[in-house]
Amino acid sequence: MTALSAYRTDATLHLAARYAIFVVLILVYGLAILVSEAFLQPSYLFNVLRQVAPIGIAAIGVTFVMIVGGVDLSVGAVISLTSVLCAVQMNGDAGNLPLAVIVACAAGILIGTLNGLACALTRVSPFILTLGAGIAVLGLTQIYSGGTARGIVSPGFREFFNYRIFATVPVLALAFLGLAALGLIVQKTTLFGRRLYLIGSNRSAARLAGLPVARTIVLAYALSGFFGALAGIALLARSGVSNTLSGQGLEFQVLAAIVLGGTTFEGGRGGIAGTVAGVLVLVIAFNLVNISGLPYHMQLVVMGVIIILASAVHGGLNARTG
Amino acid sequence: MKIARRPFLALGALAALGLVGVPAFADQATDKMQTEKAAQAVDTAKFKKDGPYKIGVSAGYLSNSWVVFALQHVRWEASKHPEITDVIVTDAAFNPAKQVADIEDLLRQNISLLIYWPVDDNAIADVLKRAVAAGIPTVQAGGGFTDNEGTVSNAYISQWQLGEKVARQLMADLGGKGKIVAMLPIAGTTAAVDQLDALQTVLKEFPDVELVSTEYGDWNRAKAKQITENLLQRFPKIDGVFSPAGQMSIGVAEAFDEAGRLTEVIMSPGDEYNGWLKWVAQHKQGGAVTFPTRAGQEAVKIGVDILKGNGVTRGTAVPSIYIAPADIGKYVDEKAPDDWWASELPADFLPKQ
Repeated sequence: MTALSAYRTDATLHLAARYAIFVVLILVYGLAILVSEAFLQPSYLFNVLRQVAPIGIAAIGVTFVMIVGGVDLSVGAVISLTSVLCAVQMNGDAGNLPLAVIVACAAGILIGTLNGLACALTRVSPFILTLGAGIAVLGLTQIYSGGTARGIVSPGFREFFNYRIFATVPVLALAFLGLAALGLIVQKTTLFGRRLYLIGSNRSAARLAGLPVARTIVLAYALSGFFGALAGIALLARSGVSNTLSGQGLEFQVLAAIVLGGTTFEGGRGGIAGTVAGVLVLVIAFNLVNISGLPYHMQLVVMGVIIILASAVHGGLNARTG
Repeated sequence: MKIARRPFLALGALAALGLVGVPAFADQATDKMQTEKAAQAVDTAKFKKDGPYKIGVSAGYLSNSWVVFALQHVRWEASKHPEITDVIVTDAAFNPAKQVADIEDLLRQNISLLIYWPVDDNAIADVLKRAVAAGIPTVQAGGGFTDNEGTVSNAYISQWQLGEKVARQLMADLGGKGKIVAMLPIAGTTAAVDQLDALQTVLKEFPDVELVSTEYGDWNRAKAKQITENLLQRFPKIDGVFSPAGQMSIGVAEAFDEAGRLTEVIMSPGDEYNGWLKWVAQHKQGGAVTFPTRAGQEAVKIGVDILKGNGVTRGTAVPSIYIAPADIGKYVDEKAPDDWWASELPADFLPKQ
């Protein structure tokens, strides 16, 4: 191989590694098209975006936390709490909608900020700390609600978010894409975004360099709480008030999407674009096995294999470039 | 290491997606056997005691509206008996080991009667036996019939009989022909297994009805909606939906509605979940087959009978009744939240809104 062709091969591999999750997404999407023509219909694809909006929105916030080297296991509990809180504040009255959204967001930001302060100022593992926070928030939700998801959504709230522009694009799907774009802008163009990577790569060096490490960590967790609250509102829009545990278990789907998308627990790498791709890989895998008509338990096996293969391909592409 | 970690995390995500299911089997024969066992008399002489009575309620969980309503029925019934002076409630929050500790705590508080619903029957079997050995009768409330040494009696609801009622009503509404899909709760649970078996048993009498897909919505409205959106892609026509759980039925119906296909489908009765009743009242189809929260009330009645030495049987079935769409107005509360249950609870005993 000549030096030029070796260079080209190397450059191609680096490109593939950098955009590995998108390669995986294309492969999974290609498989989905083979299974069902539904995946070629714009209305179905936008509906898939709507389905995954709560997880995707929550994943944006948690991505910030993971880039800086942390983790947020309380996000599922935050989604449950803010969903119930928002509905209770709405109380079936359209006039209450702005206050309901503000209260829900404030609750998410408060929980996130408390998580951030604890992570920044103590030596407690973020894994344990946010796991405990999640359990505490779950308890608070039960105390507040008494076990029933009280609250009635404002008229027009769900209708607005489920309205389809040009009979194709649900507003909730656009909201998800808009928030992803906002997250990407924050990540790529702001000082905060750059600091996330620096601190995530080497916290000690960042501290010695005079970066505001504690403040950045607190802000990252506050954003995670905020996006968690927005995810709770999105879930309320998607499926109404169902029960007090609507977010239970979603934290693992969020983490799976983020890690699949290339953001690691070590910190210092990854990003929102990869997270969105990871979210889409997971939802397409679920939908394609569901649409395929396989028996239920076989669906689980096949979906698991797809996810493992997707992860392996992603990891393989990254490994080839060291 | 990097590659190995990702699959592990992926498997963790799979676990969160609800893979774990413990197989359970129930069919028409089992249901008949349980009914026969439930009819067996209990020797209540050893539990007879004079009042006042203190009731302990060991809740396996209190984090869903159904059990909250069941507990309120316990309190309501207790309030009607002057000889009951106290109702002590513990919440195990889905932790089997905690429920064992909770029951032990209740026993130390000298309760006269233990009402419970389990996180895990096996985990508490031993402590229930100890309660019975100490002369404290135990009554299981709201689940399926439990045939254990440590369970003196049951106020139980037969998922099989509920599923059969729902299936027969759906067949009647369909006119005995068409293609249907089934939306069931968490795979492997008693509810899912028994309801599916009941449906399949009824379908044997209706050869012109085809069950084209069986799905598991995990009692989750959003998941039921997502699965139905996929079903609508798979099947150009779906004539009926078997979905006994009202919470999921709303998600299913919304998916049909948003696809512009609500007029093609007949929804089976759901349960008396208020959000579903509102849908039935609006669309005038579906109806309800109840999953009665008054199982809590029945448990107290059984317990008091035991304490007074009256005759009781191993189980009292709390029957599910069918409510036609035309009659739904008597049960729905348009001002109450969706996550609410139609009941006869007086205002003082309703959960706070």
